[in-house]
Amino acid sequence: MTPAIAVELTGITKRFPGVIANDDVHIRVAEGEIHAVVGENGAGKSTLMKILYGMLVPDEGQMTVAGDEVSFSSPGEAIDRGIGMVHQHFMLADNLTVLENVILGAEPKRRGAIDVAAARSSLEELGASYGLDIHPDDMVETLEVGERQRVEIIKVLYRGAKILILDEPTAVLVPQEVEELFRNLRELKAQGHTIIFIDHKLTEVLEIADTITVLRAGRTVTTVDAGDVTAQELAELMIGGDLPSPSTATHQIDDHVTLALAGVSVIGEDEREALSEVDLAIHRGEILGVAGVEGNGQGELIEAILGLRPLAGGSLIFNGEDIGQWAVRRRRESGIGYVPEDRHRRGLLLDAPLWENAMLGHQTVEPFAKGSLIDRSGARNATESIVDRFDVRTPGIDITARALSGGNQQKLVIGREIAADPLLLIAAHPTRGIDVGAQAAVWEELRRVRAEGLSVLLVSADLHELIGLADRLVVMLGGRIVAELNPADTTPRLLGSHMTGADVDDGGSPA
Amino acid sequence: MNPVPLKESRALRWMIAILGLVLVLSVTQELARPETTDLISAGTAGSTLRRAVPILLAGLGGIWAERAGVVNIGLEGMMILGTWFGAWGALEFGPWWGIAIGIAGGAAGGLLHAVATVGFGVDHIISGVAINILAPGITRFLSREIFATRTGGGITQSPRVESVGHVDFPFLSGGEVFGWASPDIFGWIADRGWFLVSDLFAVASGITSNVSWATLLALALVPGTVYILWRTPFGLRVRSCGEHPVAADSLGVNVYRMKYAAVIISGGMAGFGGAFIAIEQTGIYREAQTQGRGFIGLATVIFGNWQPLGALLGSLLFGFADALQLRDRTAVHALLLLTGVAVAAIALRSLRRRQPVGGAVLLAIAALMLWWYSVTESVMSELPPVTPHIATLLVLVFATSRLRMPAADGMRYRKGQE
Repeated sequence: MTPAIAVELTGITKRFPGVIANDDVHIRVAEGEIHAVVGENGAGKSTLMKILYGMLVPDEGQMTVAGDEVSFSSPGEAIDRGIGMVHQHFMLADNLTVLENVILGAEPKRRGAIDVAAARSSLEELGASYGLDIHPDDMVETLEVGERQRVEIIKVLYRGAKILILDEPTAVLVPQEVEELFRNLRELKAQGHTIIFIDHKLTEVLEIADTITVLRAGRTVTTVDAGDVTAQELAELMIGGDLPSPSTATHQIDDHVTLALAGVSVIGEDEREALSEVDLAIHRGEILGVAGVEGNGQGELIEAILGLRPLAGGSLIFNGEDIGQWAVRRRRESGIGYVPEDRHRRGLLLDAPLWENAMLGHQTVEPFAKGSLIDRSGARNATESIVDRFDVRTPGIDITARALSGGNQQKLVIGREIAADPLLLIAAHPTRGIDVGAQAAVWEELRRVRAEGLSVLLVSADLHELIGLADRLVVMLGGRIVAELNPADTTPRLLGSHMTGADVDDGGSPA
Repeated sequence: MNPVPLKESRALRWMIAILGLVLVLSVTQELARPETTDLISAGTAGSTLRRAVPILLAGLGGIWAERAGVVNIGLEGMMILGTWFGAWGALEFGPWWGIAIGIAGGAAGGLLHAVATVGFGVDHIISGVAINILAPGITRFLSREIFATRTGGGITQSPRVESVGHVDFPFLSGGEVFGWASPDIFGWIADRGWFLVSDLFAVASGITSNVSWATLLALALVPGTVYILWRTPFGLRVRSCGEHPVAADSLGVNVYRMKYAAVIISGGMAGFGGAFIAIEQTGIYREAQTQGRGFIGLATVIFGNWQPLGALLGSLLFGFADALQLRDRTAVHALLLLTGVAVAAIALRSLRRRQPVGGAVLLAIAALMLWWYSVTESVMSELPPVTPHIATLLVLVFATSRLRMPAADGMRYRKGQE
């Protein structure tokens, strides 16, 4: 028996100036299945989903929903056909309540005013029937990432969607939240919803999806049953070649200490101690991995080293000098490179051209400056060489950073920092939200600079990345370093229990 | 968590705040006697209200625009349009028509701002400044064409216009009910001279007697704005455009239409404010009679944390200083005392919230003001009119961490952006 087809996209083509985002894409999604769409960043997954959701109009091709041919010119029309989308960057207004965010655009009315009581009861009903735990009157700004995602899902269900599109839903979640999300998705599937799931974390895709469609460079590569492939095979389909891995090559670590923290304490945003008496040393040619559930002081650790946050106690010795009171600029110029966690907010000026972005943080030194003036041609040449050397795929250095895919943006940021020849590189989640190919390039680069004697402080939520890359691992919990591990005999599971402060021997973790 | 019912605690807090304010005023009044008797009186209260109305309307206008994500620095210009069109309408068709046409004039300015900022994506500040420059030019031209030919009119002013009329509240302030004069209860208590109680009733009497119908309409716009913006689907959509227009668009909200509507309403409010100045406050259109009230209205938006009630409080603050300086020059010296006391109160609150630096600075300022009051007999005449501005600046400096502007305020929005 063949189940009915919920959505079918045939020959979808979408061109943007200079790029073909989708080139004759075919996808067929059966009713009641979880259908994953995988591919590298820039493979055209998001474009395709925006077309299905009516945010973009395709140049060619047909769409059918439940057998009827449709064409959407706005999300409103897609919503009317029972399609809902959970965006990667949440579409929630912080200063409105959960309830307001959910009913916006489809408000229940009573004598001209919003019928708050009806709205609240239907929200609670939805929450209860799908096991989604939400509080209608909370302000969205107070919610955790996982809760925000549940609000997004409720928002879609509230509009009566039978077909849910989720755009990289796990990118922002910690492992426990991912499990909860998958439970919710299975519940939705059990109640007859069709789910289209975009991702590039292949183990997750294999865990949750029934069917997988692989896109590469805007084209459909193939559609397979999840049971018939391995992660390895999927990855090779995605990048069209052999799979890289973050395995460690043997090398020599110096005993020269690049950076030493002694008893460093820092007061956090909420005026409580976010970092308590941290001792840490990073050697020349060493990658020190920092693991921890987000919000346990990793951010403050980085900010303290960079000078973005004043020390409340302790000392920072960098290359033999006490830099504890130095200004950020001076620290950077003395050889600290920084790859920020959020490249959109801290790493790049999205609306500035690449060559301007390439000089951020180095705007006072050669080759970007001559005296107190910017050296335009020097900066452009330097940018060209960063683009070449780090394989930033771009039509030119005059286009804006916004036009690049996430992976290429990240390569530009990393290239910018490494090209300045730092002694210490702070890399915060350097491969977050980028595809396998770019990820491999970043790993390769980090390994290469380590071999050249650079010290790297690697903060990451990707436990495989930490174990695969780091020479030494520390775990942070509640602003303290609670464990130091050798990655060679650590498993993600063991790391996970240190991170949550659970009893390490619990659950029979392999030693 | 077991919260006190929100409504109850809010109402209680408001009452405490009002009582506290009257207490401070009463005490200051006692201290300042016999230098002045105008710090708290029916006359000052009524005048405060009249002075506050145009600022309030500009503030509400600012809230409408900014809640939809458009900074409206052109309020001043829209107000100027309101003064001219209000006076012209009142002259041609009567005072109520004057108000309506003044609103339409301001709304036309709002439409222009919306076309520029929403339609063409012009920077909000630039468009607003352009409107502020354009409006006096337009009104001067229109005056020359229309008012200059009338008796009593000229290129800078209109003939006199009639007001919409005033009302005393029956029973509260001796208003008439079908020709029978009801007792003036508030006035009677106010005249007893009981400490605090009489002062409280004097204020009540001031704001319930000889009140312009237009003032009542303006005050009704405060709850009206709260209701529309926070209780109706339209209001939710408007606010969502100021917070996260992309999200609103993704849910099928027509962001452009909402922004247009909000900015036009904003202009209409400012136009009403202008018409009020011309028709109710002065009874004549005069060039430049708005005196920057549009900008002050914008300050009350920030002061009031983008809330209509906050803007009302801010406008009353400005109105009070304005009224005092108009009614009684000597009272202004006492204003030093009052401001000193008020700043000291804010300082104590800061200290209690464990903001030692801010608190200490404020305390020093308060001490300075009180010392100044005690060693002088009068103040230079330039100071009093700017006192509320100084007070607002202080509040803004030390309360900004608690202010929350709409997240997408002042940003250009294009459909389809990320």
